[in-house]
Amino acid sequence: MRVYFRYAFKETFSNLWRNRMMTVAAVLTVAVSLSLVGGALLLKQSAAQASFQWQQGTRVTVWMQPTASTGEISTIKTQLATMPIVKDCVYFTQAQDFQEAKKLLPLPESSVLTVAEVPSSYQCVPTVPSDAFLVRSTLSNEPGIYEVTAPNKQIREMNKVIRVMQIIFLALAGVLFFSAMVLILNTIRMAIFSRRREVSVMKLVGATNWFIRIPYITEGFIQGLLGSIVAVGAVTALHTWYPLPVQFKLSTADLLGSNAVVLIMGAVIGSVGSAIAIRRFLDV
Amino acid sequence: MIRFENVSKTYKNGTSALKDITLDIDKGEFVFLVGASGSGKTTFLRLLLREELPDRGRILEAGRDIGDLPKWRVPYLRRNIGCVFQDFRLLPNKSVFENVAFALEVIGRPRSTVESQVPQILELVGLTDKSKNLPHELSGGEQQRVAIARAFVNRPLILLADEPTGNLDPTNSESIMALLERINRTGTTVVMATHDKGLVDRMRRRVVELDRGEMIRDQVRGVYGIDEVGVL
Repeated sequence: MRVYFRYAFKETFSNLWRNRMMTVAAVLTVAVSLSLVGGALLLKQSAAQASFQWQQGTRVTVWMQPTASTGEISTIKTQLATMPIVKDCVYFTQAQDFQEAKKLLPLPESSVLTVAEVPSSYQCVPTVPSDAFLVRSTLSNEPGIYEVTAPNKQIREMNKVIRVMQIIFLALAGVLFFSAMVLILNTIRMAIFSRRREVSVMKLVGATNWFIRIPYITEGFIQGLLGSIVAVGAVTALHTWYPLPVQFKLSTADLLGSNAVVLIMGAVIGSVGSAIAIRRFLDV
Repeated sequence: MIRFENVSKTYKNGTSALKDITLDIDKGEFVFLVGASGSGKTTFLRLLLREELPDRGRILEAGRDIGDLPKWRVPYLRRNIGCVFQDFRLLPNKSVFENVAFALEVIGRPRSTVESQVPQILELVGLTDKSKNLPHELSGGEQQRVAIARAFVNRPLILLADEPTGNLDPTNSESIMALLERINRTGTTVVMATHDKGLVDRMRRRVVELDRGEMIRDQVRGVYGIDEVGVL
């Protein structure tokens, strides 16, 4: 057994070294493909986490007409106070909203804005986040109200964009996944071809089929694994250093989970690629 | 040791390579297989190695029908059969020692066995002082001796030789024959396909002649051509 491990090890690494250009190409293709897979996985997890957090902090904003009378404003106040689906509300005067608007708007617009043009508003927290919509539909047509906004719509828009990006990522990853496999298959085929004399002698003197095959399987496995390690590094580095908004940051456990998936996929690409090459080109 | 029972082999293109061959070869025998090109000599050897299966009949080696062997057992069968070819089939980037050692390494023999067996067999074939040379630095006769060393280093029960002297001059052919005889004297069964009339005539061993797949002669202490029998 020890003899065999030494032999398989020696064979595998001399094959990798001999076909190093092809090996590098295969490893890089695997790396790019799996980085996309890893990216898509993280994106999905981040999106789920961010929309969960947004939902937790859902606010419904009831914007009054800038011209609304004091009567109308207090009517809305009592209405909101009696609604069971609204937990509590804070009133922002026109002056307060004006300060806020000046902070948010770019200079030319904010400089022409006057306090009288800015609506006053109620910032309300619904009892259940998903009721935000209900608050909106109940109040929209009341007199004195300019608009009721709930962030659900933005969240849905955001999720839609993220879903499209994910599909694009996964489609690209699929194409690259396939080409990575073909590249590995081809490297193994070349390794088999360059060793055909050895293989024929091995068959002649009675080496077992697995003895002949295993170095090639290991070679493909190692290429896939190296590629996935590069991908894991790239995805982790991106996640660690890219200035993502804090809601998008994943826990270490989530990151490890998606990295594990990427590593397993790399090993699978490599093994399957070399298995096909062996079936087709290694006549034992 | 080897028994052919009504063995026939036809290739897919319709060529009938062997027709109804029945033959017994005892342990320790030395058999020449003669006949023109395409007479079925190579098919005969390939069947013994189980590189092909017969269409009809069966082949027994050491009492076992080799057609019944599961595929994964075939390598173990081949460990008992050494093989030598006209074109030597040495690995060009390995030294003489490594070429012979390779045959032991790939069947999982430990390094200690390799280190004791290889020098022994290189001494038998007379190449101890060339063990570090590469094949292209050797003469044809020496290369064939390396090939024989490789075939015999695992002490197989049977040694098959397909035109082993086909590429060699008469002097080298003689030394190869002397070597095969020595191996035969250790009790190894030797089956040698050849065109070399002179060799067969001098050796006076059993001769099996094939002609277009049929066995037309099986003669103990024979010579190459049938017409010469009358002369003697």
